Amino acid sequence: MDLSVQLGRLRLPNPILVASGTFGYAREMAGLVDLGRLGGIVPKTITQEPRTGNPPWRTVETAAGMLNSIGLDNDGIEAFVAHHLPYLASLGVPIIVSIAGRTQEEFVRMTGRLAGLTGIAALELNISCPNVSGGVDFGTDAGSCERLVAGCRSATATPIIAKLTPNVTSIAAIAKGAEAGGADAISLINTCLGMAIDWRKRRPLLGNVLGGLSGPAIKPIALRAVYQVAQAVKTPLVGIGGISTIDDVMEFFVAGASAVQLGTVNFYNPKASMEVLEALPGALAEAGVKCTADVVGTLLSNR
Amino acid sequence: MPRSSTERNPLHAGYYADSANQARVPIVENVRLARDTYRMRFECPEIAKRIVPGQFLMVRLAGLNDPLLGRPLALYDTVCDSVGKPIGIDIVYLTVGKMTRRLAQCVAGDELDVWGPLGNGFPAIATDHLIMVAGGIGQTPFLALGQEYLGRRVYGATSRSVQSAHKVTLCYGIRSAGFLAGVADFKKAGIDVRLSSDDGSIGHPGFVTEVLRQVLAETSSENRAVVCCGPEPMMHAVAALCKRENTRCYVSLETPMACGIGICFSCVTRVRQPDGSWDYKRTCVEGPIFDAHKIEW
Ligand SMILES: Cc1cc2nc3c(=O)[nH]c(=O)nc-3n(C[C@H](O)[C@H](O)[C@H](O)COP(=O)(O)OP(=O)(O)OC[C@H]3O[C@@H](n4cnc5c(N)ncnc54)[C@H](O)[C@@H]3O)c2cc1C
Ligand SMILES: Cc1cc2nc3c(=O)[nH]c(=O)nc-3n(C[C@H](O)[C@H](O)[C@H](O)COP(=O)(O)O)c2cc1C
Ligand code: FES
Repeated sequence: MDLSVQLGRLRLPNPILVASGTFGYAREMAGLVDLGRLGGIVPKTITQEPRTGNPPWRTVETAAGMLNSIGLDNDGIEAFVAHHLPYLASLGVPIIVSIAGRTQEEFVRMTGRLAGLTGIAALELNISCPNVSGGVDFGTDAGSCERLVAGCRSATATPIIAKLTPNVTSIAAIAKGAEAGGADAISLINTCLGMAIDWRKRRPLLGNVLGGLSGPAIKPIALRAVYQVAQAVKTPLVGIGGISTIDDVMEFFVAGASAVQLGTVNFYNPKASMEVLEALPGALAEAGVKCTADVVGTLLSNR
Repeated sequence: MPRSSTERNPLHAGYYADSANQARVPIVENVRLARDTYRMRFECPEIAKRIVPGQFLMVRLAGLNDPLLGRPLALYDTVCDSVGKPIGIDIVYLTVGKMTRRLAQCVAGDELDVWGPLGNGFPAIATDHLIMVAGGIGQTPFLALGQEYLGRRVYGATSRSVQSAHKVTLCYGIRSAGFLAGVADFKKAGIDVRLSSDDGSIGHPGFVTEVLRQVLAETSSENRAVVCCGPEPMMHAVAALCKRENTRCYVSLETPMACGIGICFSCVTRVRQPDGSWDYKRTCVEGPIFDAHKIEW
């Protein structure tokens, strides 16, 4: 069975990736996961300058999901390049570096800084983080999304993935912007904006008041987003949102995703990526296909 | 002691889950010890043979999406077979919320997903009088630790050797006598137990810090050390007392955790840096045991 997938200029050995912010910098998982077998690793989003992140509580469990407001806690791009990248590059797995800038210029500058560095297979533009206030929200306006992707593309030869937020009226419209800007692939979705309240204390539970909902609770929203965007663009899609089993993975393929990222499930089942990977050839065989690409976007009409 | 990661990388934490094992395990027994307090035993030889006092496991009810996440629970003790090989783990828990209330309803044969051992565990402290201070359910890490320091038990794959203490005291503060759990276990291990209760129903009426002050006044040892686990205000008070008394103090933090393995960045605690500023550190991979004098309370 050929598991490899092509996302624009980016080729991956298999379609099972792990999502940004849910796998640390991969070093943390070395004892529990055979990192070399993953289709790709997206480390935690980095920013130009170090960020302390939000005050606790940073996460709250909700029904079949969790809210987070970590606030892009990271040590900045230079620390990443100096201390995390050498380890990641040594793993022999495609590393997709997730970056977030406050402005178009900062995104482009960060892209330029990472251009040509050994061990980076692609960049994922995090234009969808709900936890950072200030700055233009590139993920909610198709025009600025297009300009941003185009600007980053012209700053590097490395493949570019745009990661979108579901917190918009029409995610397909934003995806068209990313496509027009020249994205090699589109990742969707980031978390859904939500909140949790302690009514007795009349207080929000998260230190940051609002946070992003993830986990099985958001899977139907993510599937819907992949389905809608697949109708609107030709750019390959990476499905994210509540994926925890091989059945979830196959549903995203059928809806139109060429690859998937596992997120929150890494927290409550650290071995999930390995379990899904092991089950993948069997599921593709059951679908009657010889490679992943042949099952992508094969949803039939009900009529 | 669990090894710290080999690379001297300033951004890499000290205690990744490098020797951790994830398994679906059967519950062997689940018995009530005291009010809202239970001891659960499960089979998991891979974890039992590696875990040391102060380390924890993540425990999750198998196959359920709500509660979704695992919960951190400390090692209470390991269970050995007839030839002394560790094959199981005992945890002791207080029912406080969604998951622990469900846990109390589990019966032998039900399954749990567990991963561990996690965290740093207590350092091997050279001391001749180890004073353990517990607030409520914060007593759980101390049975194994006390047994180890009195030379009654060994823990860990490499059977780490701690220099034996001549004396181990447990200062154990509880809300009310009904919550008292595990005292027979501690006494059987040769640990000197001093109690206090908020309502005066048993032991010294009042705070456990008052019991600690008494123990510190009594001890002749120059070389004493304090370890502490409980609610944060209590740990803060113990740390402050130890600072005044010029005594080493380690605390085991009970920061809520979503993953326990360092990948979510939710369990942060403010730790003082060499330059005097503080930084958020992940309790699960930099702790849960910290030098109390380095915490920015
Ligand atoms: C290293 C370690 C070892 C531990 N060992 C033990 C042990 O041996 N025995 C034991 O009984 N307990 C232990 N605990 C505490 C235990 O993990 C919690 O009591 C447990 O997670 C509660 O789960 P629950 O679903 O029952 O409660 P929940 O429903 O999760 O709520 C419990 C309480 O925590 C509060 N809470 C929930 N989420 C957050 C958050 N994100 N931030 C702050 N507060 C929050 C709630 O308001 C509530 O008061 C340990 C904790 C740590 C970190
Ligand atoms: C604790 C946490 C932190 C996250 N941090 C990031 C991040 O830094 N960058 C990013 O692009 N997405 C981040 N995400 C979003 C995930 O990558 C993913 O898009 C989302 O959680 C949906 O997938 P899931 O339901 O499988 O978790 C984070 C999610 C969680 C739960
Ligand atoms: S609990 Fe996830 S990083 Fe510590």
